[in-house]
Amino acid sequence: MNLTINSRIPSETSCIMEVEGEVDVYTSPQLKQEIVDRADAGTRHLIINLAKVEYLDSTGLGVLIGGLKRLREVEGNMALVGPGMRILRIFEITGLDKIFDIYETEEQAAAKEGISL
Amino acid sequence: MSQADTVELVIPCRPEYVGVARLAVLGIASRMPFSYDEVEDVRLAVGEACTHAVERAGSSEAKIKIVSTVDPHSLVIEVTDDVPAGAPVAAPVDDTQLLADGVDTQGLGALLMEILVDEVKIAAGQSGTTVRLTKYAPE
Repeated sequence: MNLTINSRIPSETSCIMEVEGEVDVYTSPQLKQEIVDRADAGTRHLIINLAKVEYLDSTGLGVLIGGLKRLREVEGNMALVGPGMRILRIFEITGLDKIFDIYETEEQAAAKEGISL
Repeated sequence: MSQADTVELVIPCRPEYVGVARLAVLGIASRMPFSYDEVEDVRLAVGEACTHAVERAGSSEAKIKIVSTVDPHSLVIEVTDDVPAGAPVAAPVDDTQLLADGVDTQGLGALLMEILVDEVKIAAGQSGTTVRLTKYAPE
């Protein structure tokens, strides 16, 4: 598998999702399902750690936007953590860096989102 | 490398093969005097072109042909599919759950291609679509 997702659940309403590998048209349904499952299970504040993501395309961006919309509809939020230079650039050139809250570390994201790790 | 060299690759028009096209293009773009970032840009642009084909193909037996032409001044990559015009776009069943407001990922893909390479030409015909991506070598 080209994509590995490791979710930690510090509380009933929060989740930290560590994503590793390539998020593309083949693997993004897997990420989408994980986000949907967590949201269905009650997660409202989701931190997605992108530090180990080597590739992200428009389908991956679409999944993240969909997840953000869904969580904001229920007064929640999604924060992104640690994207490498290449991945960050994709957010910047599409203007999506202004839509997402992007942090350097999980600790910073958790503090802003009011999550205890 | 004084003349144009051509490399052709044909893949099934399915999600699991898009990564194969990206890998091949990574090798080809590395033959150009591009920076690391420029090579990555070409890889992502080709990935988007293939994804565009895959999303329109659904479960058909379509194929994607990727023709890369390398010369000292430019890299031209033509991504041609044989997905007929008007083919229904494949939509996963749970799209309504997550993409309720209709995230336009095809629009995002087109935007990325426009930004990542110097020229993008899309020719959509009855028997398929060709996306032609051009990246010029630095002066």
